[in-house]
Amino acid sequence: MSGLPEDRNSELRALFFESANELLQSLNEAGLDLEANPSDQEVIRRVRRAVHTLKGDSAACGFHKLSELAHELEDALSPQIGRNAGSRMADVVLVAADNFGAMLYAYQRNAEPPTADSLRTMIRSLIDAPTPSASTAPAAGGIAARFQWSEYEQLMISEAVHRGETVYNVALRVDPDSLMHAAAFQLIRNVLHSCGTVIALRPEDSFATETLEIVEAALASHQAQEHIAQRCRIPSVVSDFRIERAATLETAEHELLGDLLEEQAANLAAKSGEMGASAAAQKSPAIGSAAATVAESTLRVDAARIEAVMNLVGELIIGKSMLHRSLTEFDQRHARDPVRAKLSDALAFQSRVLDELHKCVLKIRMVPVEQLFRRFPRLVRDVAKQCGKDVALELSGQNTDLDKGILDALAEPLMHVVRNAVDHGVEDAEERIAAGKPARGTVYLNAYHQGTQVVIEVRDDGRGIDLTEIRTQAVDKGIVKAGDIQRLSDSEAMNLIFEPGFSTAAKVTEVSGRGVGMDVVRTVLDNLKGTVHVSSVRGRGTTMQLRVPLTLASIQTLLFRVAGRLFAVPLSSVVEITRITDADIHRVDQREVLRLRDQILTLVRLNSLSQIHAVAIQEHIKKKRSFVIVIGAAEKRFGLVVDSLVGEEELVIKALPGEIICSDLVSGASILGDGTVVLILNVPAVLSRLSRATPLGAIA
Amino acid sequence: MQQFAALLRKDSRPVRYLVVDDSVFARKNLIKMIEMFGGEVAGEAGDGLTAIAEYNRSKPDVVLMDITMPQMEGIEAVERIVRQHAEARIVMVSSVGYQENILAALQKGAKHFVQKPVKPEVLYEILRYVLSDDPSAAGAPVALAGEHRS
Repeated sequence: MSGLPEDRNSELRALFFESANELLQSLNEAGLDLEANPSDQEVIRRVRRAVHTLKGDSAACGFHKLSELAHELEDALSPQIGRNAGSRMADVVLVAADNFGAMLYAYQRNAEPPTADSLRTMIRSLIDAPTPSASTAPAAGGIAARFQWSEYEQLMISEAVHRGETVYNVALRVDPDSLMHAAAFQLIRNVLHSCGTVIALRPEDSFATETLEIVEAALASHQAQEHIAQRCRIPSVVSDFRIERAATLETAEHELLGDLLEEQAANLAAKSGEMGASAAAQKSPAIGSAAATVAESTLRVDAARIEAVMNLVGELIIGKSMLHRSLTEFDQRHARDPVRAKLSDALAFQSRVLDELHKCVLKIRMVPVEQLFRRFPRLVRDVAKQCGKDVALELSGQNTDLDKGILDALAEPLMHVVRNAVDHGVEDAEERIAAGKPARGTVYLNAYHQGTQVVIEVRDDGRGIDLTEIRTQAVDKGIVKAGDIQRLSDSEAMNLIFEPGFSTAAKVTEVSGRGVGMDVVRTVLDNLKGTVHVSSVRGRGTTMQLRVPLTLASIQTLLFRVAGRLFAVPLSSVVEITRITDADIHRVDQREVLRLRDQILTLVRLNSLSQIHAVAIQEHIKKKRSFVIVIGAAEKRFGLVVDSLVGEEELVIKALPGEIICSDLVSGASILGDGTVVLILNVPAVLSRLSRATPLGAIA
Repeated sequence: MQQFAALLRKDSRPVRYLVVDDSVFARKNLIKMIEMFGGEVAGEAGDGLTAIAEYNRSKPDVVLMDITMPQMEGIEAVERIVRQHAEARIVMVSSVGYQENILAALQKGAKHFVQKPVKPEVLYEILRYVLSDDPSAAGAPVALAGEHRS
């Protein structure tokens, strides 16, 4: 680390890891572009830029192994090599991205970074020619300048002297530590030209400057020798220099040079006192030095801090409804009190601001789905390569915003679904051609808003799901009894793939057969209060829809009472509400059903599910009228029989610790303004209980 | 941590810098050093176009310019800035691998270059050198073609 103290170090380190991950992402993207278009110079430049930045940043952070590796890669990224290497370049870039990632991971945990020997071999195979040897060691002693000018140059020198200019012979030793001799040479030229007229220069141009040690020049100038000397002391480029008055044509005999040298050296010593003055000469435009730093337009904030703000806003919302209740009470007691109107105005104002605040905080947590989607081109490419398939990925809807927490939780299941689509969904090229499809399969990844939900859709144009196969498998694996299997509707059969222990792939592949099945996908989605839905057309492809709420922090709910208890169900899963009398309820196959328009709806009673208030049931059944909340999740519908409806309310969900809930039927709880605790129903769990615990009617 | 005597302008005010690099990290790193040298950040830019706008806005004493950047690379930014402001002091910041680019930038009028990773002591010397120039002595940028060949 180049001399930065500790606290700065840690701050820089954090920044480094963040930006390094972004660089890796762009490397991955560029690698894929390169694979599609190996000779694209712009992409190679992009890769080079990313690698270059990574190299610089990691070196500054003291991560030398990473820096060296990046440096080696950067060398291999010239356009010429790119032209020769073809698609191998893309491989190297992608492998490099993986290696860099592994090293970063190690550095972040203060572990020893892995050696990237395979990558080095790949890089070396790209570069045919060996790398040029390091610069030569500096020669000992003074500068062996010869100042041997051509006859023409000597004539020019004489003429300049004749014109009244002073001509100096200048010799500069290029700093041997400078690794950029050509640039150093150019800088020396610039400096010399800024001091006067360069009559002669050795070497004459920057070709073959890699072994350059000494630059010699004849310079005609009106400037004082000290000034030229000062300009020649170029830090990090010139390690040593010599300046002397050039001999004119008449005295340009080599034997005289020694005398001249001594004379100039004496001159130099005598005048060195004046040097400070000219050295300090400096132009400074008259500008106010007010620090006008650029305002940062983005801010990186720890997610936990936003979480804390979110929680506080939640508490405020509860506080607001407490105030509301108190005000209502106040209204009733002092209907004519003029303070009442003031209070209600103040409360209206407060709740408006609170609503804004709530929305703003929610917005902070929103990030575009693109953050998640950008990983997939690489994933699809890798999986397709492993399976020996040709699969394209098409992304759309990347700008759809979603809560960051949900997005992160979705990463795993979505990767699983996409992997499945490539591995199991898309067929081999021969099979595709035989089926009259293009040889190249396509996986579409799409995201869009739908109401208060976000839908992420993974679609492939592959072979589709074989329902017969699923039925056979389900019976073989003991998930469904042989007798029941034919009674399942097609969509019910399709949903069997989400059962634990189910896998249709006849052989377990390295790619998707890892013991985790689609049931994991469903579990995650359930936890997120989302749903997963699959539809498939044989021979045409499969679509998986993952639906998740916009945010986890609060939900719109419908409050209702069953057996005197208050419950809530997410409004997003409520399809409709209808009133029924007992006469409308029929019994089919020991289930209670309702004929709603032309559809048969299975009815569920909360008390029969959870067996609470077993005694109370009898009374409620006797009641003539009740409400049915039609709840839909994915393609499934059921009717929830409830005693009374309370209303809609936005609830701030408080997670319940595992030891408090003993049922998965409840996904969380919330507190109303009056302090009442409401349990929020977990719709997917109710649904799965419904399909498993048949027949339901037996309990009632 | 090394101590550096503050680099000041002739009028004893802090030197004002424009820091141009597409890596936020690199900028931050440079800014830390600038602060060690008693300087002030007049502006920051992440690409060449912004750099030009920032130069016109803040008229810095020194520009630290990265070579490779998106949209407009450092070289072109140097050319455009120097065309408008012949007095501009631009120090290129880049790595060994970009020698040709540095060469080009120097031809377009950059005053110096520093290698990444930037060492504070090296940058300090370079800045001191660049700041010590005499405006009357500043010549026009020089093209590479040897115009004094015999």
